[in-house]
Parts: sequence; structure tokens; C-alpha cells
Amino acid sequence: MSVSSFAHANAVHPDDVGVQVSNVVKSFGADDTRTTVLNGVSLSIKKGEFVSLIGPSGCGKSTLLKVVAGLSEADSGSVTIKGKSVREASRHKAIGLVPQSPALLPWRTILENVSLPIKINPSANAGRALRDPREILESFGLGHAINKYPAQLSGGMQQRAAIARAFVFDPEILLMDEPFSALDEMNRDQQRMGLLDFWQSNRKSVLFVTHSVPEAIMLSDRIVVMAAHPGRIAEVIDVDLPRPRSEAMYASDGFRDLETRVRASLRQVMEAARV
Amino acid sequence: MSDLSLTTKKSKKRSSITLGQILWNWGPPAVTFIIVAVLWQLVAINNPYVLPTLDAIGNSFASDPKMYWSNMLVTAQEIAIGAGAGIFFGFLLAVAMAELPIVEKAVMPLIVVVMVTPVVAIAPALVVAFGFGMLPKYIVTALVVFFPMLVNSLAGLRDVDQKALDVFKTLHASRWEIFRDLRLPGCMPFVFAGLRIAMPLAVVGAAVAEFVAAGQQAGLGSLVTIAAAQANLPVTWASIALLCLLGVILVSVLAVLRKRVLWWSDEDLIGR
Repeated sequence: MSVSSFAHANAVHPDDVGVQVSNVVKSFGADDTRTTVLNGVSLSIKKGEFVSLIGPSGCGKSTLLKVVAGLSEADSGSVTIKGKSVREASRHKAIGLVPQSPALLPWRTILENVSLPIKINPSANAGRALRDPREILESFGLGHAINKYPAQLSGGMQQRAAIARAFVFDPEILLMDEPFSALDEMNRDQQRMGLLDFWQSNRKSVLFVTHSVPEAIMLSDRIVVMAAHPGRIAEVIDVDLPRPRSEAMYASDGFRDLETRVRASLRQVMEAARV
Repeated sequence: MSDLSLTTKKSKKRSSITLGQILWNWGPPAVTFIIVAVLWQLVAINNPYVLPTLDAIGNSFASDPKMYWSNMLVTAQEIAIGAGAGIFFGFLLAVAMAELPIVEKAVMPLIVVVMVTPVVAIAPALVVAFGFGMLPKYIVTALVVFFPMLVNSLAGLRDVDQKALDVFKTLHASRWEIFRDLRLPGCMPFVFAGLRIAMPLAVVGAAVAEFVAAGQQAGLGSLVTIAAAQANLPVTWASIALLCLLGVILVSVLAVLRKRVLWWSDEDLIGR
């Protein structure tokens, strides 16, 4: 249980910090049944860094994502995105969200759905590198589907469109909340590699919540293992596998070693919770 | 390639629709109607004071089509204006309630009180207040339509895809943008469910209003009461048939409209 005094002492130049989470505390419920979901969580994500959050249910990983997204307010502590408050950042459309379900609008075509973030809050469009929605759909392998409606696509393709929607308006940070959790295993792997390919040529800061150890290793630069009751960061594991990565990496020794390490860390967290 | 195979499948289906499909779609209901008509006729011939024969009803239409037509127009007008207003204001209030919680808090108790009051009981009071003109009929029809519209629209406006709403919020979408691009289109399935309930009720509302305001001798509802008082069964049933026709027309128009607006909510309409 003595992993609480975790401090990430990487000296990072302030300009390189994408997201800074400092001492965030969040609890839910009325006074006597109040449970602490996040207990002093600090984390920094560098520009262009891919960070995964993994941990047992109740560890607050989704809550942390919500706080960073500005969808939930922290009780104390602060979150800054490129030095700006979350509110300010969302006003400037600095946050791209990929929710658990694709959440595409069924009455809009795929192209219209992906164009939506450009249409919404247009005053924040000035001075940013908006992507061409058609082009981005092409590179996500959805070029044939731009005029189709979400219901005409498979779940995997819908989720890919939702990811394209988050990339299209050039946000500072992408927040992904288990985007592939609703897909079957084969589909999942395919979408995961698709995201990896796209991200490797379009580096953005990403905070990625997942349940899957291989997924976290394959995609991330760092894996943040969280513990539950109260939710906190237990360990941060650097993923030092070379990039660009590909499917072949699953079979490498480095990958297996990391998998063993992450699983051991998760086991420790689970056992600590049981005591 | 999958598109190609899809179109061939569809065109195959279309060609087979011509024969068996038509029979399958129209045959069973046609048989039901024929059986009902035969039974009707049997009862009517043996009990002339219970039901008029179908040919008597037909003769009644043929002898004075103009009278029926003008009365039907009056009732149709009541429905058009009354139900139109009910739909409009019901939806408007739902939007106000969904956007401003204080409006719901302030108005909902009154709404519930009015909603449980039988419209049939309000109608005579309205006639006293507003006379035998069209106004009380508009009000009664609007009242009947108002509640299903309000309740369904409100449920629809609340039933937003939370994940999509999260995406809108992270983009700092304005309330207007959320309404225009998410809540308004998203509530349409509920609005149409409300209309499906409201449309037949509109016919009921108009007929009831005419029953009560019998002094003004116009409209199909008035025609029913007057003919029934004179024990004129053919006219009574001919008027009832026209009221029924009005309802069928309304529901059919609604079904066509629904296909136009809500194509995205039906999987077989979108053609997966």
C-alpha cells in the first residue's frame, strides 16, 4: 500500500507539457456515504505523448478522464491543458473526446458527423490546422463510406469515424474512454492497429483509458496503473518499445516482458485492494 | 462489391413484390373487411332499428353529397386549426421546460390538474364562455392534442445520447447548437409517437366539441347527434363513417411524414 507518495520527477520544459494534472481530488455521494474516487492524482502528459490509464473498476480512470475533459469538476487540485484551464481549453476546442460508444448522430452521414466539430463553436476555428474531413476519413479507411449513415456501418467502422471526428479539428489533446471496449476481439485488434498507424503519423497528446494490457502496451509511451478505493496512481510504467510499432511487436520479447510487468502491477493493485 | 450484391438482392425482391407480395399484404385485411361487411348486412337486414344496411348508408351519401362534404370540411377545419395549435404549443412548452427547469417547476402542477380534468366536462363550460362559434371547438381539440404532444416531446428532448452530449460539451457547443444539432433532431421519434396518439384524439376532440355545441348545426359530430335524435340511422352512420375516414387520412399522412423525417431511426428504411 505504500505507493502513495508517487512523484513524477521528469524535468519537462513547460512548453512541452500537453496536460498537467495536479493533485486532483474528486469524491461522490452525500456526507456519510461519501466515497473518494480520485485521491490526489498528479500526472503530466507531454506534447505528442500517448498515455494509457489502466486499473481495476472503481479506480477512477474514467472519472479522471471526465475531469480532464471538463465534463466533471474536481473537488480540489487543478488540470491545465497547455497552461490553460480546462474551461478555457474547451472554449478554444483544445479537447477531442472519443467516448465509449461512437455517439455518432444517426441522422447525419459519416462525412457530416466528422465535420460536426468544425461546424460547432466556429469562433474557435481561427488559427488552427483544421483537417479536411474527407481526407481524414480516407486515411481511416472510410473513404467509401463518407455518404453512408452510421447505421449502415459496422461497429468497428463507426468507432473509427468517432476517432476521425476527434482528430479532424486539430485538438491539443485527445481523450479516449475505452473506445474499443464494445467491439469483438478481432475487430478490436484491427481498430487498435488503425489508431496506432494514424497516430504515429499524426502525433497528438492522448489520454487513453483501457482495460486491455496488450492494447495499453501496443499504443502507449507510458502506462499509468491505477488502484481503487480510493482511486489513485499506483505505478507509471514506461513503454520503451521502438516506434513505429506494428503487429509483429506482439511477439517480441520486449512486449512480453512489459506485459508481465503490467500484469504484475495490476495484480498487486488488486491484492492490495482485497486486504 | 457488397453494394452491388445489395442492389441485385433489392431488385430481385422488387420483382417478386408484384404478385405474391400484394396478395399477402392486402388479402388478409380484405377478407376481414368482407366478413365484417357481410355480418353487418345480416344484422342490419334483420334489425332495421339497430343498424342501417350498407346500401342505405351509400344511398344517403349519394342523395346529398354536398351536405356531407360541407360538414366534413367544418370538422376538418376544427382539427387543422385546433390540433395544429395544440401540437405547436405543446411542443413549444416542452422545449421551454427542457431548457429552463424553472418553467417545468412552475407549470407542471397546473398541467397535471388540467390533464386529469375530462375534456368532455370542460367543453360545455367553454361553450358558455365562447358561444356556439368555432372557438370553443378549436380550444377543445387543441387541449386534447396538447398533452400527448407535451409529454412525448419533453421525454424526447430529455432522451439525449449522453455520450454525444459529452462530445458537444467538450467542443464548448452553445445551448442553441446543442438544441439545433442534437436535441431537436434526436427528439423526433418521440414527437412522432406523440403525434400518433394525438391525431386520433384530435378527431375525438372535434366530435365531442360539436356534440356539446349542438346549437351550431355544422360538423360531422353535430350531424351525428341530430340524426341520432331523429332516429335517422343511415345519416348517423354515414357521418360516423366520415369521422372515421378523417382519422384514417390523418394517420396515413402522419405515416408518410414519419417516413420522410424519421428515415434514420428505422433500420429497414435506411437499408443496411
